[in-house]
Amino acid sequence: MLRLENIYKSFPHHFEPILKGINLEIQEGEFCVILGSNGSGKSSLLKTITGEYALDSGKIFLASQEISSWPLYKRAKMISSVAQDITKGTVQEMTLLENMVLSSLRGKSGVLRFYHNKKDEMESLIQELGLGLEKYIMQPLHILSGGQRQSIATLMATLSDPLLLVLDEHTSALDPKTQSHLMEYTAQKVKNKKLTTLMVTHHLKDALRYGDRLIIMNRGEIVLDVKEGKENLCIDDLLQKYGALE
Amino acid sequence: MDMFLELAPTGILQGLVLGIIALGILIPFRLMNLPDLTGEGAYSLGAIFSCVLLIFGFPPLVSILFGCVAGGLLGVATAILYLRFKVGTLLGGIILSTMVYSINLRLMGKPNMAIFEYKSLFSKNLVLDIAIVALCLISTAAVLLLFLKTEKGLRFRTIGLNSLFGERQSINLNSYTMLGFFISNALCAFSGSLMVQIQGYGDINMGIGIVIHALAALMIGEVILGTQSLQRQLAAPILGALIYQQIQGFALTLGLAPSDLKFLTGSMILSVIVFSGKKNA
Repeated sequence: MLRLENIYKSFPHHFEPILKGINLEIQEGEFCVILGSNGSGKSSLLKTITGEYALDSGKIFLASQEISSWPLYKRAKMISSVAQDITKGTVQEMTLLENMVLSSLRGKSGVLRFYHNKKDEMESLIQELGLGLEKYIMQPLHILSGGQRQSIATLMATLSDPLLLVLDEHTSALDPKTQSHLMEYTAQKVKNKKLTTLMVTHHLKDALRYGDRLIIMNRGEIVLDVKEGKENLCIDDLLQKYGALE
Repeated sequence: MDMFLELAPTGILQGLVLGIIALGILIPFRLMNLPDLTGEGAYSLGAIFSCVLLIFGFPPLVSILFGCVAGGLLGVATAILYLRFKVGTLLGGIILSTMVYSINLRLMGKPNMAIFEYKSLFSKNLVLDIAIVALCLISTAAVLLLFLKTEKGLRFRTIGLNSLFGERQSINLNSYTMLGFFISNALCAFSGSLMVQIQGYGDINMGIGIVIHALAALMIGEVILGTQSLQRQLAAPILGALIYQQIQGFALTLGLAPSDLKFLTGSMILSVIVFSGKKNA
């Protein structure tokens, strides 16, 4: 489904490249979790996949098409993402309905049809979240709390069945309770829709509980890739791996 | 007071013509968050180009239409400079507007051109003229409002609100940016081409400072109506332009010289910016 070949990425003013020859292949329907300390390159990896960062060298294939030189908006027809930054995943000034409609149009070309017609459809989708947010459908998004907005952003990212879902620490700005609720919801969505997913997290517990493949990155390289037997790993194993990296 | 009342109807007509520009510049300044000064060139290009076409025997409406397209294309040029060559929209607009001056002189071959004997949309019947321009302005605003409420319009609005989000929703912002600049500057040109037919001549100095007048009008309208909804945002330039033109008329009756008005306009804009805390204004 997704194949990365020898990905290099560096930034000006940084001596070492942030990604040093990453090779990775993700199968269709795979839920892959990426761990790594700060600066290990995990977020940069996701951003080179979504197209937010341009590559230095290497190739990216998605659904057997090379997308390495595609601009962000073109890749977004197939890839959807939720970022850590709550303000990025939604438009604060627009209503809940407007945000939802925008996401439901991802990968399609918008037409000259009044978006208000989609109100009922969007309302029932918001209802599925189970947070009672449907009553705010005509309100601007900034009246919602951070957790509510991030939940909406996650719902939006899964709306138009992306080929690849990219989650970049999407629960990390939230309180523990909201965090686990959103993580549970995300896992449900991924499972029900059989979405191919890449998720970066700092939570070792989440990394163990969710997903069927675990990758650890360090200094721009993949240092651990566990597929078989992931369910047998425990936190101590991970801490040991981390310890060995320092 | 008599002089004010005498000026008022002409002021309404002028205000409506200005309202079209104010509506035009609202698109880059407010909807796209990409302040653009191309309007100055688009206004005069639309005016002079349609004026020349009229003399070549084109019907008044067709001349206006071509004038709009010429102005719109000037806007697309600014958009391309910005998107492709990273020239800021303010600078790009000023440069192109300066270049338009030479184009206009070439087009006319002289600094001004009378078209009194040619066919015109306007009749010297002030009430009828006001009705025509009001119809143009209100229908343009209505079409724009309806567009913004469609799926395409919704996508267009992400440019100004959160462009990264827009791209992540697979929206090609470049083409929407060109569309926005085209429409904005086509409206400025529309206004210019109406103006030549109203006044019966085209002049090389038309349009100098017009975007600043339109901006003042827009800001007055926003102070009165607010910008909470799209309806208010789109009504603001119309109401603002009408009031602005009356303020100018009133200032003249108070004994100010026409040449003092630019100072007045600038002070109005600056005070709105300073007192309302509006940014990038």
